[in-house]
Amino acid sequence: MKRFLETGNFAITEGAILVGCRFFAGYPITPATELAEAMSLRLPQEGGIYLQAEDECAAMHLCIGASLGGYKAMTATSGPGFILYADPYGWALGCECPVVVLNSGRVGPVSGITGAPGQGEFYLMRYPTHGGNFETICLAPNSAQECMAMTVEAFYLSERFRMPVSVLADQLITDGFEDISVPENDAEMKEMGFRVWPRKIHQGPDFYPVTDELDIPPVVLGQNTGALCSDWTPTEEGYDIEEVEAHHKHAYRLIYKVRNNRHIFNHLYEKVHMDDDPDLVVVSYGTPSRVVNTAVKKARSNGLKVGALRLINLWPFPDEHFSLNTKYLVVELNWDGELVREVQRAAPKDSDVHFLGTCGDLPTVPRLTETFEKILKGQPLQRIGWEVEAW
Amino acid sequence: MEYKSSDISSAYLRSRKIPSTACAGCGLGMNHKIVIQAIKELKLAVEDIIWGTSIGCAGRQTFGTWKGDGVAGTHGRIYAIARGLRVVLPPNKELILTVGDGDAFGIGLNHLIHAARSNADMTVIVNDNLGYQSTGGQYGWTTPQGSKTDSSPYGMFEHNLMSEGMDVLHILKGAGATFLARHVSMDGAWAVDTVKKAILNKGFSLVHMTFPCPTNFASKELGSRDPVKIFNWIKNHAAPMGQEKDDTIWVTGIYHDASNSRPEFSRLIHETVEKIRRTGTL
Amino acid sequence: MKDRIEIVASGFGGQGVVRLGQIVGEAGVKQGLRVAMLKSHGTEMRGGYVRSQVVLSKDAIDSPICESPDYFIALSSAAYERFKDTVPNDGIILYDPALVEKIDETLNCTQKAFPAKTLSMENFDKPLFANTLVLGVVAKIIDVLDKDMVLDSILKIIPKFHENNKKAFQIGYDYTF
Repeated sequence: MKRFLETGNFAITEGAILVGCRFFAGYPITPATELAEAMSLRLPQEGGIYLQAEDECAAMHLCIGASLGGYKAMTATSGPGFILYADPYGWALGCECPVVVLNSGRVGPVSGITGAPGQGEFYLMRYPTHGGNFETICLAPNSAQECMAMTVEAFYLSERFRMPVSVLADQLITDGFEDISVPENDAEMKEMGFRVWPRKIHQGPDFYPVTDELDIPPVVLGQNTGALCSDWTPTEEGYDIEEVEAHHKHAYRLIYKVRNNRHIFNHLYEKVHMDDDPDLVVVSYGTPSRVVNTAVKKARSNGLKVGALRLINLWPFPDEHFSLNTKYLVVELNWDGELVREVQRAAPKDSDVHFLGTCGDLPTVPRLTETFEKILKGQPLQRIGWEVEAW
Repeated sequence: MEYKSSDISSAYLRSRKIPSTACAGCGLGMNHKIVIQAIKELKLAVEDIIWGTSIGCAGRQTFGTWKGDGVAGTHGRIYAIARGLRVVLPPNKELILTVGDGDAFGIGLNHLIHAARSNADMTVIVNDNLGYQSTGGQYGWTTPQGSKTDSSPYGMFEHNLMSEGMDVLHILKGAGATFLARHVSMDGAWAVDTVKKAILNKGFSLVHMTFPCPTNFASKELGSRDPVKIFNWIKNHAAPMGQEKDDTIWVTGIYHDASNSRPEFSRLIHETVEKIRRTGTL
Repeated sequence: MKDRIEIVASGFGGQGVVRLGQIVGEAGVKQGLRVAMLKSHGTEMRGGYVRSQVVLSKDAIDSPICESPDYFIALSSAAYERFKDTVPNDGIILYDPALVEKIDETLNCTQKAFPAKTLSMENFDKPLFANTLVLGVVAKIIDVLDKDMVLDSILKIIPKFHENNKKAFQIGYDYTF
């Protein structure tokens, strides 16, 4: 194991290389540029290909092309670029094409603030394209080391589920430096819980089975299999067809291969002080969760029965964590409240769900502990002019 | 052209999509046959070619017809998919894309230019039915000025990519394409020869080939769905380079042939990567 | 060692503030500590301040934010004004009097003036080695940091002028307040 003081971008690059990613296409955008730069340096050293695309839409399509040629491929961007992935993301979902997509969140909408972290894409990661009739898998790390682990995991899941898998990070962890351990062999990878699935080649002639089964190899072109894949509703053989029944069959697979196999990744969460049915559960994901953990531990030492639930597997949404009928506080890096809506839906009907939003900066520990106290005492969170404290 | 369509059909095409779902009198089949005949004359095998398609009439009708591997991209994106695929495919595989004019010269033009820039080895056949016909017949970027379409009821009055001396092929030449040609679907064996040259170029080739759409374009512009009328109209407005008349719209022939003159994209990438891998530098 | 040690360095863009934080972090990694080092950049780079926030700990680090820094290295007046009030009573502010003009005497924390720029001019005829001088002091006053590891990190992260950097580091280390 080698240890480095390095950025999350470095960790993602090394994680991708470890699991056999040999193709990266990107388009410069803060704060994902440094990942592209790291890939442009490292991939050729490993015999891999880095391409700078003409735009983000092309970047993900280039990855699709490489994946169709049998390569493990990855792209990375930030919100304004992620929105241009809508087109290829849908293609990759429909054609069951494995690609790993990293989104490093910044402050939006539109260009917003380039150099500050935001979490405005919670729902966008669920619906990265139009049309519905699909499930998505999204993983959200909260440290540089976990950026590596979730990149590794995203590649594993994308091969097994035969679909694009996204990693949602933010500027603080992709640009921030941390101590990072990089495994140097298979044994060390295993020790770190890294799972690897090799690229296999679908032998055809059928394109997809009308089942929820996993581990169907993806279509790889140029292998004399007569493979077909397209953006249209496919028949089971891959021909284009305009029939509702055919579409229903395909949609069944896209939805239920994920829904029915969640056990493969639904262990990806973190619970702190959650064993004794806390009076208040603080829910978050990504970088804010680290401040939440500090605040929750501090509150515990002050006698408050507070626990922290951090989601790593964001989508499909893990409803099972929200069975406790208690108070919830959802902490996010946005002011409109996104994750909180999902918590409100998943939590028992009469539970009390609150929201604390910041954006560009992480919430401070005193602000969090003060909010815990208010909620536990039943005091209302206030709305002071434009400064929204309650949701 | 000296061939029976049934011969090449059974050798190269899937029976599933024959007959096609194209409108009666559609000229796309002529273009398709020209490409297949070129492949046959080059003695290429089914497994030598990966076939890419776009959306619209040209893409939809040709997708899944090739007996070997086939891929269809969304609007305008097949060029980017093809470029990613090109760089990881074995160099001896040919990439042939049959696309439409709206896809290539409208929504996909940026990706097309970058495919030309990088000289990625692929042959793009732009099957031009003079607008967006699968959506009912709206004008496109090569629709002749003055044409009446569903979205130009007063006549197409904008500057376009083939009017007033402008030419989309000039753009692609400037962007670095190494083989560019223009034909109409009536050019037969001559067009077959051109497509063969396009395929033989280890680099970016594009053949722009206009074909008749009786259903939408002709019914609006010529006031008739008679295939013969639009067939003759296109034929009469096409002339080989050097024999142009005042009313010529399509000047046919090879516009630019710099075949095999510039390093091909995937070869350049692989040679570069290999050198960096071995020596750590360029 | 405390559960976590927070170190903030802040100044203008181009002063080497990020590199300073990186060197402290690198030393922490070499010593087997867990490290988080955030750099503030982007919009703040233009005209405002640049900040490195380093957290050192024996255990996994939760919050990477330095809300109450044990050590604050102030390399501009703007940075001093912005972060001085975050330093707790038992914290230390290390500032360069050539760069921080006005000191807030009402603060309860310890404030140490270290004339890095002046010392660099006196010893090397240029201000280039001011940060290495500061790192000498940092290695001395932050108990948990190992002197040799900090110097190793300087030599690793600054590839040039090794002899002068070694000398500057020692001058800083030996400085008495």
